[in-house]
Amino acid sequence: MQAPPTHTPQPTVAERSTEFVPVTGGAETTSAEVLVVSAYVLMWALLLAFVALGWRRQHQLSQRITELERSLQKLDGERAEP
Amino acid sequence: MPLTFAVFAFLLWFIAFHTPQAQAAAGGLAQKIFYFHVPSAYAMYLSALLCCVGSAAYLSSATERRNAIAQAGAECAVVFGFMVLVSGPLWAKKAWGVYWTWDPRLTTSLLSVLIYVAIVVLRAFGGDGDAERRFAAAIGVLGTVNLPIIHYSVRKWGGNHPAVISQGGGGLAHPDMKLALGVGFLAMTLLATLLLWSQARTLVLRGKVRALEERAAAAGLTGGV
Repeated sequence: MQAPPTHTPQPTVAERSTEFVPVTGGAETTSAEVLVVSAYVLMWALLLAFVALGWRRQHQLSQRITELERSLQKLDGERAEP
Repeated sequence: MPLTFAVFAFLLWFIAFHTPQAQAAAGGLAQKIFYFHVPSAYAMYLSALLCCVGSAAYLSSATERRNAIAQAGAECAVVFGFMVLVSGPLWAKKAWGVYWTWDPRLTTSLLSVLIYVAIVVLRAFGGDGDAERRFAAAIGVLGTVNLPIIHYSVRKWGGNHPAVISQGGGGLAHPDMKLALGVGFLAMTLLATLLLWSQARTLVLRGKVRALEERAAAAGLTGGV
């Protein structure tokens, strides 16, 4: 003899749209591949951004040094003129 | 620099093709994040220690070089700290089922990164006077106090965070796992050294250029400078 099917109470439309009930003990379904790739991509992106910022800072400095050199040369030229 | 690239290339290849997957409870495949996550934390410690040394030296006798070392240490500590804070939650999602929990080690690590972020922000937007430099240096010294707290938090207060390194590495059951971690430490040491040296050198140069600009302005070289 078969046992009668048990019916779990279905949430109403209002309950589904106004309340989120956490499920405890649910299996973690996030893909490990996605997590590993995301972690490595984000870490390298951070590093590359930092290196790019450092390079930009060095570039600005070398431009500033060039400007200073030009100004000094100009000043030397003006002083050399009688 | 070529050596650093070579070590990183070997490390990535070794992690991808040779290092075995850990048990499901440790995150399975996601545990491979560990081989960059832990060395990044170690690189953050190195950078933070350099920041402390530079800051303490600057407080005892202020020089441009000491200031540059302190600032470079803080900047690198932020970068490596964010690498830790980005990679850890992605691994935790698989191992613990959540991205973040207020575990003692996670909380103290976040606090430490925020301290170094505060130093970098202060140095970027608070001006470059001696008072600002000294204030940042004081935070750089005091911020170091949190580093041993991060390290011993797992032993003292427990929590979810694994302690395979704090336990002497005994949790790494396979020799390839130990080798990958060792190479990871070597790679991050090389990278941290390279970045710290490069940043400190740039900051020293910036200080020299500013001094030159002041001298040039004093000499009447205002146009074009």
